[in-house]
Amino acid sequence: MRDTLGSGMQAASCQLMTAEAESRALSRLRATIAWQTLRSMLSEARLRVALVVLLSAVFWGLLYGLFFEAFSFLESIHAEVISLLFNAFFSSLMIMLVFSTGILLYGNMYCSDEARRLLTLPVRAEAIYAHTFVEAMWFSSWGFILLGSPMLIAYGIVRGAPWTYYLLLLPFMVSFALIPASLGGMLCMAAVVWLGRLRVQALAMLLVVMVAGAGWLGWSLLGSAVTAGGTAAWFDTVITRLSIAEQKFLPSWWLSSGLIEAARWREEPEARFASLVESVAFLAVLVSNGMLLHLLARRLAGSSYRQGISQLVGEVPIRRQRRISWFDEALSATGTVRGRPLRLLLVKDLRLFRRDISQWSQFAIFFGLLGLYFWNLRSFNYNLAYASMISFLNLAVAGLIFSTFTTRFVYPMISLEGRRFWILGLLPVHRDQIVWSKFLFSFVGGVVPSCGLLWLSDSMLGLPPGLVFVHQLCGLVLCMGLSGIAVGLGAWMPDLREPSPAKIAAGFGGTLCLVLSSLFIVSVVAIAAFPTYLAMASEAFGGGGPSPTGIFGWASGPLGTATSLLIVGVLGAIATIVPLQLGLRAFRRFEP
Amino acid sequence: MIEFDCVTRTYGPKPAVTDLSLSIPRGQLFALLGPNGAGKTTTIKMLVGLLRPSRGTVRICGHDLVKETRAAHLHTGYVPDEPTLYDKLTGREFLWFIADMFGMPRSIATEKIGREINHFELANYADDLAESYSLGMKQRLVFAAALLHDPDVLVLDEPMVGLDPRSVRIVKDLLRSRTREGMTVFMSTHTLAMAEELADRVGIMVRGQLRFLGTVAELRDQVATGTTSLEDLYLELTTMPQAASSDTSPHEPNGTP
Repeated sequence: MRDTLGSGMQAASCQLMTAEAESRALSRLRATIAWQTLRSMLSEARLRVALVVLLSAVFWGLLYGLFFEAFSFLESIHAEVISLLFNAFFSSLMIMLVFSTGILLYGNMYCSDEARRLLTLPVRAEAIYAHTFVEAMWFSSWGFILLGSPMLIAYGIVRGAPWTYYLLLLPFMVSFALIPASLGGMLCMAAVVWLGRLRVQALAMLLVVMVAGAGWLGWSLLGSAVTAGGTAAWFDTVITRLSIAEQKFLPSWWLSSGLIEAARWREEPEARFASLVESVAFLAVLVSNGMLLHLLARRLAGSSYRQGISQLVGEVPIRRQRRISWFDEALSATGTVRGRPLRLLLVKDLRLFRRDISQWSQFAIFFGLLGLYFWNLRSFNYNLAYASMISFLNLAVAGLIFSTFTTRFVYPMISLEGRRFWILGLLPVHRDQIVWSKFLFSFVGGVVPSCGLLWLSDSMLGLPPGLVFVHQLCGLVLCMGLSGIAVGLGAWMPDLREPSPAKIAAGFGGTLCLVLSSLFIVSVVAIAAFPTYLAMASEAFGGGGPSPTGIFGWASGPLGTATSLLIVGVLGAIATIVPLQLGLRAFRRFEP
Repeated sequence: MIEFDCVTRTYGPKPAVTDLSLSIPRGQLFALLGPNGAGKTTTIKMLVGLLRPSRGTVRICGHDLVKETRAAHLHTGYVPDEPTLYDKLTGREFLWFIADMFGMPRSIATEKIGREINHFELANYADDLAESYSLGMKQRLVFAAALLHDPDVLVLDEPMVGLDPRSVRIVKDLLRSRTREGMTVFMSTHTLAMAEELADRVGIMVRGQLRFLGTVAELRDQVATGTTSLEDLYLELTTMPQAASSDTSPHEPNGTP
């Protein structure tokens, strides 16, 4: 449509674009930026790229092996449980994707410079929404691809799925992700336009309700074990309760049903074809619903985006009188004069943490849920072997949760300081102290809740003091190593151009941090658990016979435990010192 | 070309711009002055469609910024106070993107991109990624992008920040020649000397209200009490007692605003 009003100088040379032309131009923009980013990464940081790809492949392989074993086990015992697990997994994932895409879209649409620039161009609001949506969906779903692909490929191999199953995997995953992502987009726009300032409180309430719901579900599942005593009856109860996720109107059910159908191997060609058709029908349901929701979200953007950003830009920040916390005052005042700059940096980070709702709420929710789960462990009556196995799994879970926090919030800290380097760079503070303050912040902030939760877990499981000591030591080493990896890598490869910590964490360095952290946790837990595992195995297979001799006897005894703890300590020291050294060296040479 | 019709914008209960009525004709360079917090940025944001007025209408070339946003944007070029570019695009790629967004035919876009690259002396850097640009280079590129489609209205928010003297001269010359050709310029600035040198008309805003509207000469006639520099006049006007600012009609020597 050519605009003829206004009789301007430019009327002959430009015109309003069609929706398709706008979409093409924005797609070209994304493709050019992606290509330029890839090109500069390959030319400037080949080693880094190779390392990340290699470690991601190792991580992927480990996950694949884990899922393969799990599916083989389930296939041999309870094949029907797989559908239930798929439903529970995908429905939880769906809720997470709604929130993560909504939050990312909020940043992309309402807070980014790019969106504000695009809004001053003659572009439809729907096109800007679609442009920002692609990026948000990618950032929120890459974890699903990384975790989901080894799981689903392992499932296909265990089930002996036909080749069509693998062909359908990606369309299934993308069309599924489109549904919660579009819902998240609509929720985000609706919250901005209709809730105004109340959106933060509404989000907080929703999170509280969800946490309470998860808590209730956990309690009702595990609480029943008290009466059933972890027997087959209890297992049946758990299955019944989990079937809440198996609702036919949920996209997670369409996805799991479609995948299970696609993976079904049948001898007769007709039956095979029927399964394929059934699977494609589920895919069609996912695609059509995803596209419908995306279309509705675009419509909503067309009618509300400009109004929403106008409201948001016009919001006056609430002025709050902040009092100095007694803790901050005590921390900055006590100790030596020499250590004061470091303490002041710590106080600053602590204040930023307290005032950033996304940081402390994630911290509180994750560790809160973990605490709830550990508290519920008392409902079971375990034998020692089983309890010690669960305790090591709990150790791994606590580590993994802390690693998500270090990757998401601690890793970007140096990058964000780099953007404000004119403040810190001009202070009479040695640069090393800045890095050390981040490390201390992360380590102390992590070790208190982690070791506290591990102690709770061990108490609920009724473990002997020796094993409690092993777990406390491992918790300490994990927090030290994870903090070292996040702070060291953050200082080694800072991203000074990106203002969003979420995007810094989702970049190459963040991925490397997550992968290394996961490998570190798996190694520490495996090494620490090895002597216990040997002791359990000898008990199970020795059956009252003589104790194991030779290397196995030695390894399952106190000396073996001591050696494993020594190796864990060395591993922790390497994970702490090497990245920190790399980071400190890079940060000393850092030129903003 | 630009019309503010009884425009009020509030932030919660607090008015940021109150009952602004202003018309800027074709080919005029208008400079909006005022202390921090006077409402200049709010006015600019309403003019580029980032903020909607609480009351009243803003029009560009007859298009209501709320109802016909895209049509109004087609006639507008905007240079924000902070140049925001795509780091991973080269200067030329960025200009091509802007040309695409304004639906320019390929042949015309090629010609105009070349023209702006020459005007702003970007030829040596046009194929480098924007992440390697200095602040001044970024600002020049943003200017080139804003002028690429020969807009009828150019909105400038503190336009000379980060520019070196040569770039400042280029921009000044360009503004003079484009306004002669009929382009209307709306500029918000703190640089009084530039307003004095370039503006056909100035507006001085204090606490959301237009305290003065007219030429610099008229400002001198009306406000000066023995002072001569624009700086003195400006300071005198913006520090007038509150009573004077409650008068909603600006000092307008030539009748209606």
